[in-house]
Amino acid sequence: MLKVEQIGVAYGAIDALHGISLEVGQGEVVALLGANGAGKTTLLRTISGLIRPKSGGIRFEGEPLGNSSAETRVKRGIAHVPEGRRIFPGLTVRENLDVATTVWRRRGMSAAADLDNVYALFPRLKERASQLGWSLSGGEQQMLAIGRALMARPKMLLLDEPSLGLAPRLSEEVYRRIADINAKGVTVLLVEQNTVLALEVARRAYVIENGHIVLDGPARDLANHPRVREAYLGA
Amino acid sequence: MSQQFIQLVVSGLAVGSVYALVGLAFIMVNEATGVVNFATGQMVTIGCFLAVTTGLQMNLPLAPAYVLALAAMALFGVAFYAIVFRPLQDRPVVTVIIGTVMIGIVIQNAALITWGSVPFRPRSPFGRQVIDVFGAALSAHALFVIVVSFLMIGLLYLFIYRTAIGARMRAVAQDRDAARLMGISVDRMFVLTWIIAGLLTGAAGILVGPMWFADVNMGDPIALKAFAAIIIGGFSSVPGAIVGGVLVGLAEMLGAAYISSTYKDGLVFLVMILFLLVRPEGIFGERIGQRA
Ligand SMILES: Nc1ncnc2c1ncn2[C@@H]1O[C@H](COP(=O)(O)OP(=O)(O)OP(=O)(O)O)[C@@H](O)[C@H]1O
Ligand SMILES: [Mg+2]
Repeated sequence: MLKVEQIGVAYGAIDALHGISLEVGQGEVVALLGANGAGKTTLLRTISGLIRPKSGGIRFEGEPLGNSSAETRVKRGIAHVPEGRRIFPGLTVRENLDVATTVWRRRGMSAAADLDNVYALFPRLKERASQLGWSLSGGEQQMLAIGRALMARPKMLLLDEPSLGLAPRLSEEVYRRIADINAKGVTVLLVEQNTVLALEVARRAYVIENGHIVLDGPARDLANHPRVREAYLGA
Repeated sequence: MSQQFIQLVVSGLAVGSVYALVGLAFIMVNEATGVVNFATGQMVTIGCFLAVTTGLQMNLPLAPAYVLALAAMALFGVAFYAIVFRPLQDRPVVTVIIGTVMIGIVIQNAALITWGSVPFRPRSPFGRQVIDVFGAALSAHALFVIVVSFLMIGLLYLFIYRTAIGARMRAVAQDRDAARLMGISVDRMFVLTWIIAGLLTGAAGILVGPMWFADVNMGDPIALKAFAAIIIGGFSSVPGAIVGGVLVGLAEMLGAAYISSTYKDGLVFLVMILFLLVRPEGIFGERIGQRA
């Protein structure tokens, strides 16, 4: 479904990604693991069109994404839940969800079914529908960020550290919802520092270090790989 | 209350609501794009002179003359975005500020070449008509200015806070990248922002014309006072711009009558400086902190 080919990205004179290649199949959950500053966020931002790569290309459903804008990519079916949630602080929960329907909604079309779907996944959001974004707790903000991305009716979800700053129980809760979303047919590429959780949900994983992919394989194998155990599982 | 006092309050409210319109034009652009548009005053000038052209020189009836001038101002807003702002967009803020200051000077000189240096006296739809309220003879035009301004502000409020497009505009203002990730076209929202800025400044120019004279230098003092108004009101607050505008208008008119007509502008800026010293976040300033 998604094919990243030899992507190179630089911030000014400094290279952040050196020819990254990876693939995500239809319906898969794939994890991208790596330490701080490895280039995980940079890769997701490149896939969603916020950053232009200096080399390489990305294909989505077989078609090259080329230089298309972030908006076009959302329309094509890629929704990105950014690092740090980035929900709109001055919009209500309901408005945060509504603005994400921009790509498909035409005059007179209803988003009620989409809204019900998100509220069923995260009942807390329904209770807080008229509260402003900034007033939500960290966990609620993460739920809103994921729910908002779903409102765009994506085929693929890019998640950047969905467990960041959440208590362990809440992280597990969020990951169960990610599994639910995937079960409904949405492909997932997730970036995570919480390696244990990520490897439980993901089928395959890539490990990125200093802008290079250094390992990849089935999640189960990676969980037992000495290098992963030492560097990311603290074992 | 004396008759004169009522008259002064009404004219204070009238100029104050014009400052509120211009202040809102500042705020809309600043909120959406993070840049203060220092050509805002010149946009008021252009709005006023476009109405001079349609209303005086082409001698159209005032209703179509105003509509035509406003439509031209909406286009002017889009042109400003496309020609000036978009190329500057990703430059450092200082570059954008200098750019808007420069384009302001260019606009002012273009207005001088087009309309000349002799001021015009634009007609009011109400002529010099006065309306008697509690024994005070109030200018019909001043009342018209107040009503139209508050109607526009009300419509703007509904548009921004009660429509889907308004929510998208606020989303872009709050987090541009996140808005793009939601599939919102930032470009389109910017165009809309500049159309609104064109309409607000255009309406301000059209309304203020018959109260004062249409002079190519009229924009600067209006923009300065609108700026004072939004500082008093709280820099990015919509109700703040309205309250600030009205306060500035009242201070100007009452100050001129009861304190000193020579120093009326000084009085306005004294109030602004007092606010900067005592309450720099402005009257409605707390909202900004809450938003972030
Ligand atoms: N806007 C930027 N300008 C310059 N350098 C940047 C920028 N963003 C990231 N970098 C650099 O690029 C490299 C990769 O950063 P990136 O944010 O992609 O890492 P990450 O894997 O997401 O890290 P983390 O786990 O801390 O979120 C880092 O060395 C970082 O300093
Ligand atoms: Mg990151």
